[in-house]
Amino acid sequence: MMEANSVITARNISKAYGDSSALSGFNLDVHSGQILGLIGPNGAGKSTFLQAVLGLVDTSGELEVLGLSPNKDRHELLNRVCSITDVAVMPRWMKVGQILDYVEGVHPRFDISKAKKILSNTNIKKSSRVRTLSRGMVVQLHLSIVMAIDAELLVLDEPTLGLDLSYRKEFYSQLIEDYFDGNKTIIISTHQVEEIEGVLSDVVFMDQGKEVMSGSIDELNQKFLELRPKAENLEKAKALNPIYIRTELGRPVYLYENVEAEKLRDFGEVHPPAIADLFLAVMKKNKEGEAK
Amino acid sequence: MNALKAVIRRELQEHKWGFVYLPWIVGAFMSLVVVMVYIGLTEVNTENFKFSTEVFSDSETVQGMNEATFEQRKAAIRAGLLVLGSPLVIALGFAILAYSLSTFFDERKDKSIVFWRSLPVSDSFTVLSKLSVALFVAPLLVIPALLFLHLVSVTAGSIYFAVSDIVPFTWAWQAYPWLDWIRVIFSLWMQALWSLPVIAWIMLTGAYSRKPVVAAILPPVVIVLVEGVSLSSSVFYDSLIDRLLPWSRSSSFPKEYENLQVAEISDVPLLLGMNEFWIGIGLGAIFVFLTIYFRSKSDYASVE
Repeated sequence: MMEANSVITARNISKAYGDSSALSGFNLDVHSGQILGLIGPNGAGKSTFLQAVLGLVDTSGELEVLGLSPNKDRHELLNRVCSITDVAVMPRWMKVGQILDYVEGVHPRFDISKAKKILSNTNIKKSSRVRTLSRGMVVQLHLSIVMAIDAELLVLDEPTLGLDLSYRKEFYSQLIEDYFDGNKTIIISTHQVEEIEGVLSDVVFMDQGKEVMSGSIDELNQKFLELRPKAENLEKAKALNPIYIRTELGRPVYLYENVEAEKLRDFGEVHPPAIADLFLAVMKKNKEGEAK
Repeated sequence: MNALKAVIRRELQEHKWGFVYLPWIVGAFMSLVVVMVYIGLTEVNTENFKFSTEVFSDSETVQGMNEATFEQRKAAIRAGLLVLGSPLVIALGFAILAYSLSTFFDERKDKSIVFWRSLPVSDSFTVLSKLSVALFVAPLLVIPALLFLHLVSVTAGSIYFAVSDIVPFTWAWQAYPWLDWIRVIFSLWMQALWSLPVIAWIMLTGAYSRKPVVAAILPPVVIVLVEGVSLSSSVFYDSLIDRLLPWSRSSSFPKEYENLQVAEISDVPLLLGMNEFWIGIGLGAIFVFLTIYFRSKSDYASVE
């Protein structure tokens, strides 16, 4: 049985393309109000999983989205789920106004006046054809449409791939400030962790079709800490078994798992790790674990 | 209903050249030809059809026109307009075939299928809507251009007759078969249903193949060749050609109706009584079902 506020329940999801397996026994629980980042290298299975959530690929295992089966109830699900994917999928021959009219005709939860209002703050004109827009503008158009749909779940699969930095920042700030209201749920896949750093409430690290680690940002910030040890404390800090060591501006930075902040503070400056650094550490640890 | 309207509107926006502009281009061209013939600038002279003001210099022809009964006038006008309108119908046929070939291929090629399928429109709804555009909406869109051509033709003819003192201006208008509008629409719809297996087959190839033109043409060619070589017969070829020709001319149509040109609505039961019609509908339904299946299996992998 699904919990009351469960949005996605995935149990033992597997999918193989020929000999290579994209997902092998993947589990996930997403609850209402979460902004979950699905983080992993290329080929980790992020896209495949999100396609399964959207009912675009068949997988083995149990998958429920908003209490529905993505394959069997795809049509009903699409009333309640929106998505933006990494490929430019807007029909290039169409004018912006024509797309808005079409979505208004087919989507019961689309508010065309809201979409027009969002677009009025951009350089995108209603009379422009999609083929004349830049890559960034096409994504902006897609986001404007999606933001005007009152969906319960928004699936973003590498939505900012290939965009300029300014567009990427704009995309996420718009998403959080103007769209997310606490009742919605967003799942974002990316391999560029930095750009969604401040956006997420939860993360799942993925590699080779499996979950490597998951948790809320708060949990992770308690569990993992980074220390910039003073030169004289390097050996003592090392004795506390950091799981990962990196260098920043020529100085070592140690990452600890389940070590109390009080202990670390004696050796230097302590703060929660950036997700990107945590991700690298977890992946490295995972690889070592596999090697053993 | 809103969704159907939205899908049909989108199809007409995408294929406006074939379905909206082409009938008017052909209709305007034919109108121009008609006017030029009456002015005496040109004439149409084919094996089966002669259209020239020369015929009116023959006193017997003029006498015949004056003595013609209402029914005879109506038949003459109807036959003339049918021939003048045939380029429009042929253009429509090509537009429908081109549409059928591209409608499921183009959305895969430009990956917009991912966007369309992210909206709450089911694959069966999309396929059936697109089919209804080919079968019913496109023929309907030919009608205004055809009406325009008729009005220009009859007006130009009437002016010529009156000015040349052949028959009164009202000669043609009194016998102009206004009700033919409904007849033409039904004929075109029945024709589209008669051609359904060809239309649905072409749509199917666009839905699954990377080279839809080859996929559409190669299998029928192979069947024709295999049948020709192994059985020395051409049943498949003949029935294929039948499907592309007017249904009232099909070899399976009762011989006594061979001269039927535009079908009357009352002829519809004739078509519905033909086994070949229902075989075509059944075959078309299989192709449509497969088209829905292939579209529902389109994921990113199939468009990469």
